Amino acid sequence: MLSILIWLPIVAALVLALLPSSISGPKVRAIALWGSAGILAYTLFLASQFDLSNPGLQMQEYLPWIEPLGLDYRLGVDGLSLVLLVLNSLLTWIAIFSSSETTERPRLFYGLVLLVSGGVAGAFVAQNLMLFFLLYELELVPFYLLISIWGGEKRGYAAVKFLIYTALSGALILAGFLGLVWFTGSKSFDYSALMGQTLPLGLQVALLVTLLIGFGIKVPLVPFHTWLPDTYVSASAPVAILLGGVLAKLGAYGIFRFCLSLFPDAWALLAPGLATWAAVSILYGATAAIAQKDIKRMVAYSSVGHMGYLLLAGAALTSLSMVGAISQMFAHGVILALLFHLVGVIETKVGTRELDVLNGLLNPIRGLPSVSALLILGGMASAGIPGLVGFIAEFLIFQGSYAVFPVQTLMGVVGTGLTAVYFVILMNRTCFGKLDNAIARFPQVEWSERVPALVLAWIIFLLGIQPNWLVRWIEPTSNALIAAVTTPAETRLAIAPIAKTPDLLLMSSPVSK
Amino acid sequence: MTTTLQTPPTLIPPSRHPHADIIHRLEAGGSMLPDTPENLMQIIGIYKAYAVPMDFYWRDLLYIAEQVFLDPFPFFKYFISQEYLDRPNHYAGDTADLRIWRGRASAHPELLEFMEKGELKKKLPKLLHHLWHDRVNMEFAEECMRAMLWHRHMYAPVNQFDAYLDSDEYKQNADRAIRAYFKKNPVMLGLYKLFPDMFLEKVRELSYYSNLGLFWEVMAPVFFEMSDIYDEGGFKGVPDAMNFLVNGIFAIAGRPIYHHAYIDGECYEIIPKSKGFTWLYEAALPYVEAVFYRTSPFRGTKSYNAQANQVPADQKDFHYGILYADVFPVGTAGIPPTLLMQDMLHFLPPYLVEYYHQHCRGEDDMLVQLGITFQRSMYNVTSAVIQALRTALLYPLDDPNPKHRMANRKFFEAQMDRFLRPEARLRDIQSPDYR
Repeated sequence: MLSILIWLPIVAALVLALLPSSISGPKVRAIALWGSAGILAYTLFLASQFDLSNPGLQMQEYLPWIEPLGLDYRLGVDGLSLVLLVLNSLLTWIAIFSSSETTERPRLFYGLVLLVSGGVAGAFVAQNLMLFFLLYELELVPFYLLISIWGGEKRGYAAVKFLIYTALSGALILAGFLGLVWFTGSKSFDYSALMGQTLPLGLQVALLVTLLIGFGIKVPLVPFHTWLPDTYVSASAPVAILLGGVLAKLGAYGIFRFCLSLFPDAWALLAPGLATWAAVSILYGATAAIAQKDIKRMVAYSSVGHMGYLLLAGAALTSLSMVGAISQMFAHGVILALLFHLVGVIETKVGTRELDVLNGLLNPIRGLPSVSALLILGGMASAGIPGLVGFIAEFLIFQGSYAVFPVQTLMGVVGTGLTAVYFVILMNRTCFGKLDNAIARFPQVEWSERVPALVLAWIIFLLGIQPNWLVRWIEPTSNALIAAVTTPAETRLAIAPIAKTPDLLLMSSPVSK
Repeated sequence: MTTTLQTPPTLIPPSRHPHADIIHRLEAGGSMLPDTPENLMQIIGIYKAYAVPMDFYWRDLLYIAEQVFLDPFPFFKYFISQEYLDRPNHYAGDTADLRIWRGRASAHPELLEFMEKGELKKKLPKLLHHLWHDRVNMEFAEECMRAMLWHRHMYAPVNQFDAYLDSDEYKQNADRAIRAYFKKNPVMLGLYKLFPDMFLEKVRELSYYSNLGLFWEVMAPVFFEMSDIYDEGGFKGVPDAMNFLVNGIFAIAGRPIYHHAYIDGECYEIIPKSKGFTWLYEAALPYVEAVFYRTSPFRGTKSYNAQANQVPADQKDFHYGILYADVFPVGTAGIPPTLLMQDMLHFLPPYLVEYYHQHCRGEDDMLVQLGITFQRSMYNVTSAVIQALRTALLYPLDDPNPKHRMANRKFFEAQMDRFLRPEARLRDIQSPDYR
């Protein structure tokens, strides 16, 4: 039952917030950790119940709510949402694991984290536009508080910037949704009711652009990304994990679920422009990351670049590129979480994030060798080194997009090259070299600080070797998504041969049999 | 034995050297290492931990020089015979020529226990301990030997031992031993005919095995005795410990340095005792210069790229010994002292283990902490060498003649000049926070 995924965390958040103050901080953390582990286990249970042969919505729930507004409580899950639900539950657990034992005001902190988790899960399964919007907006205030109370220096500035951008994003999305419903004359905001609407193309383009900017702020796409570096850098490690791992995916999910599916004609019209936009995003993110002197900022800009691949894949709109895009959402989520966690550990132990101060952390006795080794793994995964999950996602995207937008795809390939450049810079300055004897008396990294990174590294490695375990969930849905979108005949012809490739890739998956 | 002296300030003006504070301390009979109870505890503890593997080093070095000799496949050169483990140390036990350590003359009991059970604390065949790398890192001793061999011309003409290795007399002695060793092996004899220098150079190396083995045969009992004296409460401070070393150096200075090889039970005197080579000039001073000051650049810290010019062209500018070493990367690839630190780790006295547990990362970075302690202790040993040299070549510290005082001052300043390079750790060890 999907409702449990929404309400269990929210109830847990309330319980945590109301815990008596006699319960110590580490105990509150332990309760939150076990609660989120329970939610993760339940999510995995739901995934095991997921029927791979059914490309449509599953586990649907419906409750009439406020009929006159067209708002009802309608939930459902398909391959796209399922992967992101798992990601959300996983990263919530990781974020709580990665938080400090001595977090101040733990009741509020863990309560907000769980509240966010419930809201995000709800947004992924909501099948009513207004319900999606409500849950989408639910993130706003908790994140604002998480940044402004527990953040680093300049947290006030960053939190306000985040709040304004996200509020603007919400307003644009609401305008897009309202416009869509009013112009089609629909009575309800139900997603299925709005599929296949027949608005004039000009109107479609206007609504699409509105939504694209709304979601593009959240993803974020250049030039709407300027909140991101400040926010990610000011947020503490667990909050940065949630922001980058989950919230960015909410924006991307919005683009795929709403922009692409509801306005197929307009999307096809704008696709070349979107692909170019994506390529610019990728290259911009990578070059901006090269210029950074702060490792957290580097990772933040890497996120801008990686989100560009999603738009490229969406613009190409082949079933292969769609599989790639959804894989990339998951891959980027775990990789970014790993990187932010490790950067957080480095910052607590060494006390700085400056590239010019950090050095020699691979030293086995006095450095942080396990953290450094995992950082190298994370950087390689992010740069798309084969054998790790980042490569799978990027390769699927390139393979799926090349036939449609060769030039933009090649620019994306150059982007991965630049990604390798700044991650090598980061590794080189941080892990290699020699320790500064004047400052190198860092505390030991505890096992509990390594576990989240080891779990993530294991997932990254496993899915890089055995990508079927990731793409099998996605493939039916992405095929259905492509089929439902009425693409112009010539585009279809062009992509026809490529659309066969997934069968080869997924030979062992039960779907293709 | 304890002589803590004060330089009357009026006799000569204070030094203007950058290390003036240390020079004044040396002139007052002190050590380069500050005199604190903590420093004393550290250096004595590490002497003890160093002496146990050293007890193996000297025995095995002599075993290789005398018994393994030119074996072309010396697979078992670290498996020394019982005879060499029982070999009485000349400076310990009842049979000693000059008894320094009151303990036993055969191998130290802690060493024997380690050789038997190792880190695993399990009785296994020697070979399995060796293959599992549960053993004394003898490679470190060989590395020290090679440093002495490679820097061998450094003390000419004071050092006679080196010059002798190139003499015809030495070549004849070596030739006899080589022929005797390979007399049943026509292949090797043929090779010797073709490339006589190859074997000759190998024998020179073995002579250095013997040289270093004989050097450490003295140092091991010295360090054991210092540890015992400390345990009995005999040392009041760091200068006491240094003075014990100075006195030891003079007591032992005239001991013979030689190289004998035993082939089929017969002794071949490659460097006979009758040549009159002595411990201080032919082993101790070259050792300090080669190992404490120079050695060779760590492969993990310097590039040997000739174009990069990181390694000096002149051997006298080498500064990679323990007095200059960066100990923080111990445990990393390409840092040779790790071998020794790993050896000492097994034999730390309990008070030092407890001390390390209270600092930095406790048990987890003990290897680095003990490395830094070792560096402190070697500064103290070097101080003893400097004081001994001053005693031998110059004037007493309480000499009333200002000119003599000035000569001492010049000598100390010249010694301290060597620590003006930024790599020198002399400044670091002045602070107790360097750990």
